[in-house]
Amino acid sequence: MFDDEQVLLRAQDLARHYKVSQGLFKPKATVKALDGVSFSLKRGRTLAVVGESGCGKSTLARQLTLIEPPSAGSLEIAGVDAASAPKDMLKGLRRQVQMVFQNPFASLNPRRSIAATLDEPLLINTSLGKAERRERIEALAAKVGLRSEHLRRYPHMFSGGQRQRIAIARAMILNPGIVVADEPVSALDLSIQAQILNLFMDLQAEYRTAYVFISHNLSVVEHVADELMVMYLGRAVEVGDKTTIYARPLHPYTQALMSATPALRAADRRQRIVIKGELPSPLNPPSGCAFHKRCPLAEARCSAEPPLLRTVDERQVACHVI
Amino acid sequence: MLSIRNLRVQFGRFPAVDGVDLDLAAGELLGIVGESGSGKSVTMLALMGLIDAPGVVSADKLEFQGRDLLKLSPRERRALIGADLAMVFQDALTSLNPSYTVGFQIAESLKAHRGLRGAALEARVLELLELVEIPDPRRRFKAYPHELSGGMNQRVMIAMAIACEPRLLIADEPTTALDVTIQAQIMDLLLRLQREQGMGLIMITHDLAVVAEMARSEPPRGTPGAPLPPEGAAPPRERPVGGARVAVMYAGQVVETGPVPDLFELPRHPYTQALLAAIPEHSRGAARLAALPGIVPGAQDRPAGCLLSPRCPRVQPRCVAGRPLLEQGVRCFFPGSAHV
Repeated sequence: MFDDEQVLLRAQDLARHYKVSQGLFKPKATVKALDGVSFSLKRGRTLAVVGESGCGKSTLARQLTLIEPPSAGSLEIAGVDAASAPKDMLKGLRRQVQMVFQNPFASLNPRRSIAATLDEPLLINTSLGKAERRERIEALAAKVGLRSEHLRRYPHMFSGGQRQRIAIARAMILNPGIVVADEPVSALDLSIQAQILNLFMDLQAEYRTAYVFISHNLSVVEHVADELMVMYLGRAVEVGDKTTIYARPLHPYTQALMSATPALRAADRRQRIVIKGELPSPLNPPSGCAFHKRCPLAEARCSAEPPLLRTVDERQVACHVI
Repeated sequence: MLSIRNLRVQFGRFPAVDGVDLDLAAGELLGIVGESGSGKSVTMLALMGLIDAPGVVSADKLEFQGRDLLKLSPRERRALIGADLAMVFQDALTSLNPSYTVGFQIAESLKAHRGLRGAALEARVLELLELVEIPDPRRRFKAYPHELSGGMNQRVMIAMAIACEPRLLIADEPTTALDVTIQAQIMDLLLRLQREQGMGLIMITHDLAVVAEMARSEPPRGTPGAPLPPEGAAPPRERPVGGARVAVMYAGQVVETGPVPDLFELPRHPYTQALLAAIPEHSRGAARLAALPGIVPGAQDRPAGCLLSPRCPRVQPRCVAGRPLLEQGVRCFFPGSAHV
């Protein structure tokens, strides 16, 4: 029904600005949490979104899953524009984009059995009968590594890794085209993390699901991603094929991120660039390039005009200097 | 300097720490690695005397600088902790008191242990803030924790811990809550302080790569050319012994210990091997990661034999029957250098 070249998700200059109070008598300030991000994602592919806290990764996830409408820009899911779609169509779109959250201790309803948790999406979105729903739940539960007696249990009876399996099953039960996973393994121990990453890869191989995989862990991202988007303060600074960027990161922020990631083997270690300072406040971002105050390569131009994404060496980079 | 033999911490019938032996020389660097529930933090809390009822601490030997930590009176313990023995915790924002300025909180241990007052006290606090590379220390002195970022708060925690020039600093996941670029800054800071002040450092972490990194920044054993301390800094009180060691913990026990990077290159315990194999860095290009099945045993399901036996890929009948001891740095009946 779908071919592999189909673009499932296309974002164009997607932005989300929040108004925040600064005090009773002060005017409200605007935080540009997401400030013009564009990408497209094909069936069965994984886009990894990387950046530090406050860079807008989770805000992006909220736009993609239609939890919040974007302030500007357009979002196209399976060829349908989300902003102009009528209400009944929107329901179908939501079915196409499911989400897996970071903390499986908070994302499952403690008062619902696993079977009830997995049943709800089917009940709302399909007209399947009870026996068919049950069959589908058991089949998927087996795929994610749960036994059928687990279905009667409640979330508190499971470990973190198993809860994340349940959360993944809940996201996959409607067979969505796209799964947005927001730091899905960062709350898990290393040996469990490997199990869950394998599960993600197995499910993708079977269902050809497209993943938007949000993470701050570059070693995990290198394993799962096909394409990579590095974000800094609401903007993409480097976008392209994973192998290309890992082989030779061009943006100074990408380079700093990669060099700051600890590596096990000395041979894998990149030259160490420890950038100074911290992420600037999004309430009062620096002029020009948001990174220029921490950037080792900054020139006069960097503080004057914001760089736009341009194609350099088979990927897109937003930097004046390189 | 530090010597632990057969340390046990029991919570009811559950042994959170189950016979841990550790030694640390002055100025040495030790990494303790393990997953959650492995007992790495509880071991260090027991050392600091921070285990409350119903936890019960017992040990054949728990000595720091020749003094038995289990026999200290509360007064003696208070004199020791914060002065010679200090700790940095994971989440700086919850560890700091929100109602006092950071300057006041750093000053507290200097007042208690060194008896500093007035201008001398303020000068020392400012010096510490500079030492941990906090920009604009005079202004930050009067800041409250909520006004500072996570990385800055962690620097404040470190300043508090090193205020009285401790002989041993225990850092419990000091960088886990921080972003990678900030993590690199804090690691560099801790290691610089360790070298410059000749202090022992125990780094608790779940991230093997952090330990590998830590060992790499350490000058190799016996070679000169350690970075010179900045001008004006006091000379190190003694030469660091050099080299870093790591202890890998699983379910309350040390399962393997040895120098880094040797241990990471030739791990002998199946758990260490599995941990290393689970790192995506090791499976570059492979479709699947090598994952250890199952989870860490809990209070109810501790196996009678080797604690890893239900999950171990190399399990033998002997492993299910009895528990191996830590011999020549590895706790396994069948240690092997399986290829990772």
